[in-house]
Parts: sequence; C-alpha cells; structure tokens
Amino acid sequence: MAQSLDWKEKLKSRMAPDLAREIDIFETQIELRKQGKLDERVFAETRLRRGVYGQRYDNGQRHDGQKVQKLKLPSGGLTKGPETVWDAPGMLRIKIPFGGLNPEQMEALADLSEEYSDAISHVTTRQDIQYHFVHIDDTPTLMRRLAAVGITTREACGNVVRNVTACPLAGVCRDETFDVTPYAIACSNFLLGHPDTQDFGRKFKVAFSGCKQHPCGLTTMHDMGAIAKTAVVDGQERRGFEFYVGGGLGAVPYKAQLFESFLPEEELLPLAQAISRVFARLGEKRNRARARVKFLIANLGIEEFRRLVLEERAKLEPDPRWRDYLSTVRQYRETPLKPAASLNGGERPRGFDAWHATNVYRQRQPGYAVATVTLPLGDITAGQLRGLADIARRFVKDTIRTTVEQNIVLRWVSEADLPALYEALRQIGLGEANAGTIVDVTACPGTDTCKLGIASSRGLAKELRSRLSEKSFELDAAVKDLRIKVSGCFNSCGQHHIADIGFYGINRNINGYAVPHFQVMLGGKFNDNAGAYGLAIGAVPSKRIPEVVLRVTDRYIKERKKSESFQDFVGRIGKKETKAMLEDLTQVPAHAVDASFYRDWGDPREFTLTDMGVGECAGEVVSQAQFTLAASERELFEAQVYFDAGDLRKAVMTAYAAMVQAAQALVKTQLYDVSNDEAIVLTEFRKRFCDTELFYDKYAGGKFADYLFKAKETLQQQNGMKQDGALRLLQEAQLFIDAAHSCYNKLSALRVASPAGGQAANQGEG
Amino acid sequence: MDLQKINVKFFVEEPGAVSPEAFVLLFNAWIQAADGEYYDIADYAHVEAGPGILLIAHEANVAMDNTGNRWGLLYNRKQPLQGNNGEKLRRVLKAALENCRRIEEASSLEGKVRFRADEALVLINDRLSAPNSEATFKALKADLETAAHALYGNADFVLERESEDPRKRFSVRIKAAGRFNVAALLANLDKGTGNGNRRAAS
Ligand code: SF4
Repeated sequence: MAQSLDWKEKLKSRMAPDLAREIDIFETQIELRKQGKLDERVFAETRLRRGVYGQRYDNGQRHDGQKVQKLKLPSGGLTKGPETVWDAPGMLRIKIPFGGLNPEQMEALADLSEEYSDAISHVTTRQDIQYHFVHIDDTPTLMRRLAAVGITTREACGNVVRNVTACPLAGVCRDETFDVTPYAIACSNFLLGHPDTQDFGRKFKVAFSGCKQHPCGLTTMHDMGAIAKTAVVDGQERRGFEFYVGGGLGAVPYKAQLFESFLPEEELLPLAQAISRVFARLGEKRNRARARVKFLIANLGIEEFRRLVLEERAKLEPDPRWRDYLSTVRQYRETPLKPAASLNGGERPRGFDAWHATNVYRQRQPGYAVATVTLPLGDITAGQLRGLADIARRFVKDTIRTTVEQNIVLRWVSEADLPALYEALRQIGLGEANAGTIVDVTACPGTDTCKLGIASSRGLAKELRSRLSEKSFELDAAVKDLRIKVSGCFNSCGQHHIADIGFYGINRNINGYAVPHFQVMLGGKFNDNAGAYGLAIGAVPSKRIPEVVLRVTDRYIKERKKSESFQDFVGRIGKKETKAMLEDLTQVPAHAVDASFYRDWGDPREFTLTDMGVGECAGEVVSQAQFTLAASERELFEAQVYFDAGDLRKAVMTAYAAMVQAAQALVKTQLYDVSNDEAIVLTEFRKRFCDTELFYDKYAGGKFADYLFKAKETLQQQNGMKQDGALRLLQEAQLFIDAAHSCYNKLSALRVASPAGGQAANQGEG
Repeated sequence: MDLQKINVKFFVEEPGAVSPEAFVLLFNAWIQAADGEYYDIADYAHVEAGPGILLIAHEANVAMDNTGNRWGLLYNRKQPLQGNNGEKLRRVLKAALENCRRIEEASSLEGKVRFRADEALVLINDRLSAPNSEATFKALKADLETAAHALYGNADFVLERESEDPRKRFSVRIKAAGRFNVAALLANLDKGTGNGNRRAAS
C-alpha cells in the first residue's frame, strides 16, 4: 500500500480526477474487504467491474498430475470472492476501446507487465489487453499507472458493458461506408459507468463495423451491433446504422437480430440507453446461463423487445451527450506521420514479400497501408511492446489498434516505408507473416489460466501454428485463407463458432481415465460480420486434432468445386460424411499403449478436470442497492479516517453522507431511479420505510431511522463540533448503516423489495 | 534506498542444449516435490526473446528466461526482504544460484545445462524506487560491489549498467575475471565477504 501511495503522489497531476477518485475508492474497498467489512460477493463484483478477474487455481488448490496440492497462500482464509483466495494470482483485464493505442500507452503496458505480471501483454479476442499472475494488492497501482496514460480497467469484467469493439481498419478501409471510430468512442464513453448499465444480470457486448460484408466488426455475434449505413432522408444523405441486437456466442450461440434497418446517428446513444434499461429491468438475474440479452429477446420475441425499447426510448429524459459528439464526428481524422509514397522500386529485404502478401492492407488513402503485426497466441513481450512503440513513433505516430484476431495493426504506414518497417519488426521478433491466415490461430486462455477451461486451447493453438507454419509455403491458397479458432470450453471466448475450422475443449471418460478432447466445428463464417456459425461434427481426442486439420483441408483442396467456399463445401458434403471422414481419429489408444493421449498439449500432467473452478465470466449478480450499501460503508470508513486525522467537520459531513447513501440504497429497492438529491432521498426514505415501519427494528423501533434525521439537524446547527459529539455521530452512522443492511436482508428474504414502476421482479433481490 | 523486488539472472553456457519443453517437465517435477509452494507454470517459449518458461510462486518466480535473446535462470523476488541492501542482494543471489544448481543437477536434463557463473545480472523490478539512471547506479554501487565481492571473492570484477534507456528497469551486469562455477559461487556466498581486489565500474 505504501508503494501504491507513492505512485499515487507521483501521478496525481496525470490522472483524470474522476478516474483517480474511482481508484482511491477501489483501494479503500480492498482495505475494507481485508478488514472483513465488505461482503465477499459484493467485493467480487466490485473488483470484476474494475477488471480484476480470477484465475485458475485461485481457490487455493492445484492438481500436480499425481495429487491435489493445497497451495501455500499466506493470506489464509481471506478471500476476494467466493472460493477465491486473496493471495492467489489473478488476471487483470484492461479495456482498450476500439483497440486504439498510442506509443505512450504501449510503453506503460510494457512496464506494468514486467513489474506486476509475467512480462507478457496478451491481446484478447475483444481487443482488450490482459495480464496474468497479478496480485490483487498491486491492482490500485496498476490502475493508477494506466490512468496516467488514459486507460481504464473499469467495467472490463462483470455484469456491465464490456469493451466496445470496432473494425481495426475503420477510417482507412477501402470498403467502409464511413469511419465508425468516433461513434465507438462516444458509445464507450457514454455507457461507461452510466447508471442505466449498472444493474444487468450479465455482461453486455457492443461492436461497430464499417461495412456489412467483411468480418472485422463481428457485429452479428454481439449483444448490440451497429453497421455503418447511409440513407437519403428528405433529399439529404444521412449517416446511421443497420442496428442489431441479441447476438452472442457461448454455449448457445445466437445470431443478432435486426432491430432497425436504418437507425439515424443521433438515435445511437439514446437507443443504447433504452436497450440498457430494458435489459436491466427485464433481463434474467437468477439463472446466469440465461441472463444475456439474447435470451431476453428470444423469450419476448424481437417485435415485443423492439416495442419495449422504443417505449422506453420515448420516456427518456433528453441528455445533451446524445448529440454533443456529433458536431465533431465528421472532423474525426487521424493524421499520418509521413507523406504518402508508393512502394515501387525500393530494396526489399528477405522475407518481405511473403510478409507483405499476408500482413499488409492497402488503405483507401493512396500511398498508405496498414501493417499487421502477427502476435503468436496474442502474446507480446514487454521488450517487444516497447520496441513496437519506438517503431510506431518512427513510422506512424499513434495510429495503432489491437484486433479481434489477437494481433496489432499499425495504420497510416507510408507504403515506401514498408520494407524498413518490416526490417524493424523483424529485429524485435515481430516480423512473422501469415496474419489472418490458417496459421494465425486464435485461442482463448483455456486451461493455461482460465478457471473454466477444460482443455488446453493455447497448447493446441501453439501446436497447430507450428505445424502449419512449417507448411505455409506449400499451402493451397484456398486453405491458406481459412481461419482456425480454439476455445478451451463451450463458452466460446476463442470464437470457435465463427471459424472455418473451430474447436472447443471437452472431456471424455475412457476406461476410467479423463481424456482431453475437442469438439470439431466446421463451416463457421468469419466474413459478413461473423455471418454463420459452424456445425458441430464430433469429438476428437486433443492429440489428434492436427490430423483433423490436415484431413479436412486436404479433402477440401481435392474435392472443392471451382471457387467453392469452405462453408459451401462443408455444407455440400454434409455432416454425416464429414463425421465418417473423421471417424478413425476419434479412437483413443489404451493408456498402457500411448499415455500421451491422456495428457494435454503443453502440459505434462495426467489430464484431470479437478482444477476447474467456478467461473467469474458471469460475475456476481449484485443489485444496485447492495452496491450503494457497500458504498455507504466505504464512505463511513473515510469519515473515520477524517476523524482520526482530527478533521471533525469533514468527518461528520462524510458520515452523514454515508447515512444518506444507505437510505438511498433502500429506496432503490423500490424506486430504482431515485435521484441523488439528498432532500428527495430523505423524503422517499421517510415515506417508504419510516411511515410504513419497514425500517423498524424489532427491539429498537424507529431509533435507527431517527439517527439519520437527527444527524441532519446536528449538521445544520453545528458550530464547532466537539470530538465526543462527532464520535457519537460516527457511531450512530454505523448503527444506521447496519440497520439498513438488516432491513435489506429482511426485504430480500421476504421478497418485499419488489420494484415499482414496472421494474424487474428480481431487481431488488439479494 | 531500500532495495526490494530484486531479480537476478545467470546465463546458460550453451543455449539450445535442451528444448524449452524440458523445463516445463522439470518445473512440473519441482511442483510435485514442493507441496504447494509453486502455483503454476507459464510457457511463453513461443514468443521471441521473451520470459520463457516461468514457475510462479508467491515469494519469487523462477524462470528459464530468454529476455534479450539470452537464455538464463531468472530469479524474481516478489515479496519484501528484511535487512540491509547488501544482505538482500546476497539472499537473492544465493536463491538464484541454488536454483541454478538444482537445474544443473537435474537428472532429466542429463547434465546438459550449465550456467556461466562469471556473469550475473542484477535487476530491480521497480521503476519507482530504482529508476534506470546514473543516480540509481551511484546510490547502489557500494551495495552492488559488496554483493559482487561476496560472490566472486578476491577476483576482479566490473559492474556495468545493462542499458541507459530510462524506460527500462535498472539493471547491472556483474562480470568477473576468471572461470567460476555455480558451486564455487555458492561456497563464496556461504563464506561471507572476502577481501578481493575490486576494479571500479566502467
Ligand atoms: S472459452 Fe472457456 S476456457 Fe476459454 S476463456 Fe472462455 S471460459 Fe475460459
């Protein structure tokens, strides 16, 4: 903590005040949890909403291949969530809206990966960056150092709006309708921390795409997807979006449904807000497996969902932020570092042509190109990231983006610079070709670090990469362009559904042994914004998956009709035939004959499911009332700090504010939208909880409520508060907050806390 | 300056003598023998000049590390140490060397991995307390010399900053004249400080 305070001091002037304050609050919450003053479930969802995620083995045990070991974690019984030991290493997810990075941010990311993680920054399939093996005590410092370069981890995990993604080619694409970047930025900023996005039963993912036919935005697999579109309205060309809702992968993949064929740009943010409100109100809260918006839409039907959203939209109080950003949208522009120049003539280093063929995209702007930096398994070392920052400064300035294919692109490279750029990348070990080809396998973390992982997605991806890259020169062009994506389980973080060849990890018990397998999925479509989901063909032992890839691709090369796509080919030969083709590969030799089948890729341990834990993808469903109660506790803690420092005035004011917050938490169980205005909170609290005697204690009657109103009077009159008076007020504030907790629990148990005004039936549950 | 987060790296004599996978197997065996001390293995052999194969623990990570395209054993002390800087450096050097010895003696590696004991890299994994500057070097030089002296006894040695790039972590290379092996360095550390000749850092 001492060190964290030092960074806090050092970076004070470089952090946005609201971001700095949020991190201070999180640090206090950590302290409160350590003191046992914050419930572990509330803390779990709190940290998730700060991007602080669990990691495999954080329940304090690990199977070593022979037995389960209890890990030596000095924190003992202290937890950071249900079955999550404090000292166990965790993951930090860092939100990178639309994947946009600049060199300063890359350097900060590199530094932090070295000091707090394992010197690797991992690019995810949703354009985030992840660190693994992070200690929770280091997270406030990490957040401060990120905030100093304009990055937040807020709402990177948990039941909130996750990173807003967008095509990495937005603004430079030859086929886009218009640049979606400023809209993605506006949407990300608007929804971040918005009160209407804080009470979801599950996460909510948003994506933007500049066109319909290319894969970059993957809008159809998102909860909310917007594809750039123009329309002539009243004789004028207007910008807007083809607007989709309810897509999602996971165990039960749904393609998004069309909500509006042309949503005018000015309606983007209000509609997102209205959808958030409907989702918060009506979305499932108890059964996480059915809590994504796709299930809500499936239950209601798209027509009814649309009607509810539009009804909600009509009721919204206008917000200037809906339109403010539109005045600058058309001016949004990236500026290149170098003048445009063509590639002609210059000397080409060895390996350049192969790299150029797969890793360079000619921009819409003549003389400029986008260069893709291929990252194996999405991993980049601290040294490489720093080196890449130097390269960016030399060739493009700050036009850098992460991609959903776990790579990084440098945009606005003057074409004449491409050979020098390639050489510079090669020197830091990033000159690999094959971006976006069959070699460039995408994989989720799987059993390496994910608590839900069944099989080693990264191990398999690594094996496939190495085998395919050896053959890459001889690969048929039709095969070279196929995509392989691997997930460690059915949850599909590796996006296996939308790959030509996809795999997800499963287990099969054979002769009393657990054997790692992958379910083979064929014929998914990355194009058309993830236009089709693949077909499950059957389970194959993990160790035979490379043979599956060879067999399927060989047959495609041999039997495809002229320019027949892989999807069409798979559709034509059919599931039965494809399954038959792979039948012999499903066999597992006896353990005594070949024990390697009973181990996973890259893992010498005998395979077991013992290490699977409870995932945190779904987060904890914690109501807004619970969060507000937790916030009141924190505020009271701060009041105590002021008191200890002798600032009595601040102490009593803060303690009173904590009481008001606790009262507001209770009011929220009945009136979700209650204002933050103190007078309104007190009136509503009196009306709903005092007059009805809901806040009455069995023995103390209305005494605790009186503390609140008395504190207000004390504050109004107080001239020169004495120490004992201040201490009494602090103690009464604690009693009031405790009583608020009891009342909340009582209401939850009785299910009395049913929301008014059409709120969801389970919104106030505990 | 209160030194913490001390890292020490000893380089292998013959890179490529065994494959990185051999260390995954070895570290797994260490985990099996350690009863909960080590949490996990992270395999980054697929990235160039990267952190290699790491054995993650609470107190310190041990890695066969390839940063800078030089394979070696990196001991990364994470938890705070007590004592003065000289004592802390010695403790970390000793812990690193003990891991080196364990690797050299591992039967699964058949004696193929040997460490160059004439060179040690000391790195402070904390940019706040030890920025990579000449001022840090000056402030720590005496402590580093004491540690180098403890390591190499009477032999001559030089201290040099690995890089002057202020973005990088503070790191100093200790290079000794003569031939050494891991056992000899451990013996030196156990003996305590000697009175060797010391040459000023370049
Ligand atoms: S797909 Fe499964 S294994 Fe992979 S990251 Fe998601 S939950 Fe974990």
